[in-house]
Amino acid sequence: MAALPRRIIKETQRLLQEPVPGISAVPDDSNARYFHVIVTGPEDSPFEGGLFKLELFLPEDYPMSAPKVRFITKIYHPNIDRLGRICLDILKDKWSPALQIRTVLLSIQALLSAPNPDDPLANDVAELWKVNEAEAIRNAKEWTRRYAMDN
Amino acid sequence: MEQFEQLLTCAICLDRYRNPKLLPCQHSFCMEPCLEGLVDYVRRQVKCPECRAEHRIPYQGVQGFPTNVTLQRFLELHIEITGELPDPTSGQIMERCNICSEKAYCSFCFHCDKKVCPDCKGAHMDILRREICRINNQIRRSIHRLQDSLSLVERNTQNIQSNCSSVSEEVEEIYRRLSKALKDRTDYLRGEVDRYLCTELRTLTGLKENLEQEISNILSNCDLADKHINENVDWDDCELMDAKEIFLKTVEFIRNFEYENSDYGRKVRLILAHDPNQLVLHVAGFGDLNIAHQQFGGSGGLLQPPGGGPGLMRSKSDHRLATQFRQQEERGYDKGYGENAQDDLPLSGRKFGDRTTRSTTSNTDRYDRYGRGGGADYGDEYEDTNRPARSRYRSRFNRHAPADNDSDTEPTTRGVRFSEQHKERERTLDTEEVTRGPLSGIQRLADSPRVMKKLQENETNKKKEKENPPAQPPPQPKVTQPTIKKPPVTTRQVSEDDEISKIKKQNKGATTSTAPPEPTPTVTVTKRADDVEDRHANTRRTPAPEAASSGEDSDASESSVQQIQRKTVKTPIVNRRTSGPESTPTHKKASRSTSSDSTTSTESSASSAIRSSTVPHTPEETKPKYTPRITESTPERTRTTSTGTSKGSSNQKTFQSRFLPNRTPTVVPTPPSPKEPETSSEEETESEEESEDETPKPVTNTDMSKTDIGALLARSAHARDTSDTSSKKEEPPYSKSRYDDTPTTYTARTRNTPKDEEPTGYTSRFINKNRTSTDDTKASDDSDRYSSPKSRYSALKDRRQRLARSKSSHAFGDDDETDEAISPTTANPTAYMQSRGYGSTTSGNDLARSRSSHALKSRENSPDRTPTNEKDGAALSSWARYLKNKYGNRSSGKDKDTGTGTVSSSGSSSSAARRLSLGLPLRSSDVGSSDDDQKNMSGSPTTPTAVTVAAAGIAAAAAGTSPKEQYLQKCNLLFKIGGRGSEPGLFTWPRGVAVGPDNSIVVADSSNHRVQVFDANGNFLKEFGQYGNGEGEFDCLAGVAINRIGQFIIADRYNHRIQVFDPAGRFLRAFGSQGAADGRFNYPWGITTDSLGFIYVCDKENHRVQVFQSDGTFVGKFGSMGNKPGQLEHPHYIAVSNTNRVIVSDSNNHRIQIFDVNGKVLSTFGSEGSNEGQFKFPRGVAVDDQGFICVADSGNNRIQIFHPDGTFLKAFGSWGSGDGEFKGLEGIAVTPSGNILLCDRENHRIQVF
Repeated sequence: MAALPRRIIKETQRLLQEPVPGISAVPDDSNARYFHVIVTGPEDSPFEGGLFKLELFLPEDYPMSAPKVRFITKIYHPNIDRLGRICLDILKDKWSPALQIRTVLLSIQALLSAPNPDDPLANDVAELWKVNEAEAIRNAKEWTRRYAMDN
Repeated sequence: MEQFEQLLTCAICLDRYRNPKLLPCQHSFCMEPCLEGLVDYVRRQVKCPECRAEHRIPYQGVQGFPTNVTLQRFLELHIEITGELPDPTSGQIMERCNICSEKAYCSFCFHCDKKVCPDCKGAHMDILRREICRINNQIRRSIHRLQDSLSLVERNTQNIQSNCSSVSEEVEEIYRRLSKALKDRTDYLRGEVDRYLCTELRTLTGLKENLEQEISNILSNCDLADKHINENVDWDDCELMDAKEIFLKTVEFIRNFEYENSDYGRKVRLILAHDPNQLVLHVAGFGDLNIAHQQFGGSGGLLQPPGGGPGLMRSKSDHRLATQFRQQEERGYDKGYGENAQDDLPLSGRKFGDRTTRSTTSNTDRYDRYGRGGGADYGDEYEDTNRPARSRYRSRFNRHAPADNDSDTEPTTRGVRFSEQHKERERTLDTEEVTRGPLSGIQRLADSPRVMKKLQENETNKKKEKENPPAQPPPQPKVTQPTIKKPPVTTRQVSEDDEISKIKKQNKGATTSTAPPEPTPTVTVTKRADDVEDRHANTRRTPAPEAASSGEDSDASESSVQQIQRKTVKTPIVNRRTSGPESTPTHKKASRSTSSDSTTSTESSASSAIRSSTVPHTPEETKPKYTPRITESTPERTRTTSTGTSKGSSNQKTFQSRFLPNRTPTVVPTPPSPKEPETSSEEETESEEESEDETPKPVTNTDMSKTDIGALLARSAHARDTSDTSSKKEEPPYSKSRYDDTPTTYTARTRNTPKDEEPTGYTSRFINKNRTSTDDTKASDDSDRYSSPKSRYSALKDRRQRLARSKSSHAFGDDDETDEAISPTTANPTAYMQSRGYGSTTSGNDLARSRSSHALKSRENSPDRTPTNEKDGAALSSWARYLKNKYGNRSSGKDKDTGTGTVSSSGSSSSAARRLSLGLPLRSSDVGSSDDDQKNMSGSPTTPTAVTVAAAGIAAAAAGTSPKEQYLQKCNLLFKIGGRGSEPGLFTWPRGVAVGPDNSIVVADSSNHRVQVFDANGNFLKEFGQYGNGEGEFDCLAGVAINRIGQFIIADRYNHRIQVFDPAGRFLRAFGSQGAADGRFNYPWGITTDSLGFIYVCDKENHRVQVFQSDGTFVGKFGSMGNKPGQLEHPHYIAVSNTNRVIVSDSNNHRIQIFDVNGKVLSTFGSEGSNEGQFKFPRGVAVDDQGFICVADSGNNRIQIFHPDGTFLKAFGSWGSGDGEFKGLEGIAVTPSGNILLCDRENHRIQVF
């Protein structure tokens, strides 16, 4: 494998040196393009108090293409499906090389505080979210408590 | 500042802007690769990463976007302010990497001659580093050559010194004698004259007085008569009568008296035996120094060990590195001599500092080849072929190319790579001011400013953070090797860091004293922790004895052996830098010292020969003096030889065979008939030569020999050569005289000795000797020996007895010993001859000898003896000695049988002859004891030879005559080891067997999952290993091999790996796993190792042979499934001859295949069947030092022995469980002494033949 591009090195260094509050991203020992990410649930959201594990992988042509990010921790969220895949525009067509890992993760954190049931990935969750937001939020809290805490 | 910085950072690459391009949306990005990567080629658009605005791409592409000049100014400003270095890549344009085709800032890679991206370049540099490491290892491994040469030179220095001093002593001695003789004679003559004068005077005075009295008497009578005999006086008749009588008497008296003038008038005259003028001339020129010059052609061979002869090169050359090393050496040689200086110096031509860049150089430039290693060189090479050898080497070296004519097909890539390294070096190291090896022109890397800088940087970096070191050290190692610093001797011990560090320390010490060129680097180096650095340090440290070298040089000029000297000198000097004599690693030292000792002695003998030659006409008086000496000297000689043989013989052989091919023919076989003691010295030397000449026996030994002894051998050989040459020159005149005298005896004797007779007498003697060391026994032995006597022996016997009587038993014993000592020598020559087709003795003999009886003897020998021989030699003019040797040789050569018996009788006559030839009178008184001695000595040698032969014939263990004969006699079991079981000394399916350096027997006890080691006699020594797949554990191991440093290399069959153990049986490393890729195995079976330490493995189920470096690095493979030549089906066992022929038992094809080291088939023999030369599933193969091949013909349950060319020689054995019967054969091995070790698998034992 070719050597790590300077950009990735820089980003990684910066992530480690100036971590974003509420977000930690650590590269894997064996693969510097693979990050173990932990995002704290944003305050005032149903996910508050949860620690959500994600995996992030920088593809070969990063930064020209978006990183692959996936939730490992189960989460009840209309834009995140049961497999942890995330529906987020900047991870798809809105990706820009000017974005970075930290911005992506910040976006994801923001997504947690502002679910967007109108652009759902998990249809049932989005449905409930639209129909009965309170219950949905309760579910979300429940899931958060169940899956995203104490581990 | 932070923000300022951020403004200068491209959002895409997060780096400082490089060539920022301004998009219409006012956002800027680097042109490459950032903006370039954003381009949507389909839509010819670029979307701004910041604002997502889409812009059409100008016609020329992203280049067409305006450059953000403001930003660029800011960048420059920033650089100015912060003072940081400009981006090295600024201004560069990205290109496609020629290797990985990625776009990047490519730079030129000297490794592959292309522009490549940094990644690829890094990889290439890694490769280079690794290669350098490997080469470095090779160098380390072969550095001993230089070191050997160094010690050779040292020896030579000593020798020359001792030689010169002894010569001057001799001169002094003669001067004393002459002057004393002159004085004595003068005194004597004076005294005589005085005495004569006295007596004469006395008689004359008496006479005078008498005469006076007579005269007075007579006168008075006359007066009286005148006066008184007249009338006046009255005389009676009676009185008158008386008076008349008296007067008559007086008349009578006067008449008769005659003064015997002659008596008293004798004049004394000084009569000179010689014309005084002549005499003065003689004295004035009583001696001359004869300096023996070595002939280039002849001696060249000798010297080759250090320098490397073509033959050797070729044989080894397959190992590319070795070759290169060689070539470099060669080159160095050239340079050292300054011949062809201009064109010869690849090094100087391209100098490290030279920046000959590929782009500038044209193909025609020779040095360019380094860079290219390309096909263009071929043409040149061929041209070069016609040139004299030297230039050819040079050219080869220049190429380093695949095009090596000598059959070594080096993988092109490698060659190329190697050459590239050179290039890199060229550019990197500015070496103008650097010290270089005077001989090779090899630079000391540490002196190169660049290297120093690198090191320093590295150092500082290290201090800062310890992570970085890897990056920098590599450059040094790189450098190190190319320069061929030949890091310290350590080659063998590379693995042992301790050793290295130790050496380092030593070296350090040495360095300080020796005042190396530049102290600074040293310091830097010292601090390094890495191994590499260590080595480096070592290298540097070693500057060693400049003084010594210079001394050597001067010596060389004086020396008689100038040529040799030169050669040697040159090599050593190179050495010098690497490792001073002091720096030589301790352990090596030990081995060396022993062997070197022997060498020295040999050399000393040689030198003595020379010395003697210098004083061709020894005056009469000298002789007496010498004779006594003679007696004394013999013993040491003997000892020397013995040591030499015993210690070095096995090892030496290999070397010699390689190195001295040229020589061999020239060697004069030692005569079994040293008639005079003096001969012995020469003989001894020769004997050693011969033993060495004989083709190497034990492959295993080869390795050893290389490391330690090779050079020594070479040296000794060289010394011998010298003696030879010198003696040869002078020979002609003497030969005649000697010849004249001797012939009668000679011929008569010669005829008589029939071969058959010898055995009886001699065997007993031989055996006895082995057992007993006491003088008495020897004496008895002697008597035994002679009790079997034939008529021809009677004379000898008589003499012996007389001797015995006259001398104390001790002396007798000594004599015996001398004989023994000599005999190996003698035996060897014969063997040599035989091997050439003449006849009968075996090289095995010397081995056996040296080990057994000989060793004993040597130990016993009284040191006092040594002097004798030398002096002896000195006393005899060298020619005389030489003649004797020669003569003896000839006879022995022609009819070996005769030679042995013959010589004995000649003893006395020969000594007489010698005297005559020397112009010395035969003085019975002188002859007394010393002569006796001489006679004895001369007589005895014969016998020993015979003994050996006989012994060899009878006891297979002792090794037969020529290998061939020896093998022909095989079939009787010597002994066997083991039986079924798992106790120590028992086996369960033994498979592999090998012979260790000390003749130990190493058995792969397959189903006991262990290795057992036995001594040469089959006594259990140790075992190691157990079942498992961990380190040091085995699963049904099969093959076992022992490399030259005694490491066990084991094919761990079911674990599909090779394991290496140190000589003590401790696990060192393992490599390989199951698979078919390179470096993987499928049931590795047989295994062997060659002189360079390469490991050959029969990868049985992969139907191939794989070759590894001793550290387990994959080197190559050959063979594939099939039955065509070069293909293999279940190869089981493998052996490598010392000529680098790889012999593989191609089991399922029922044949043996012989490859060269590159895997090219040389020959194939055998087919399925049970006739002679046919096989059924042949398994074990072994090859002896003569190239004879032993095959364990498993399916036929027999051993077959083949000539080196593959023709059948002998077969023996059958199915069964008795002695000499087999059930399922596996590995086979041949000991240096010619014993065949055999794994008799189903009988769970080892049989030895």
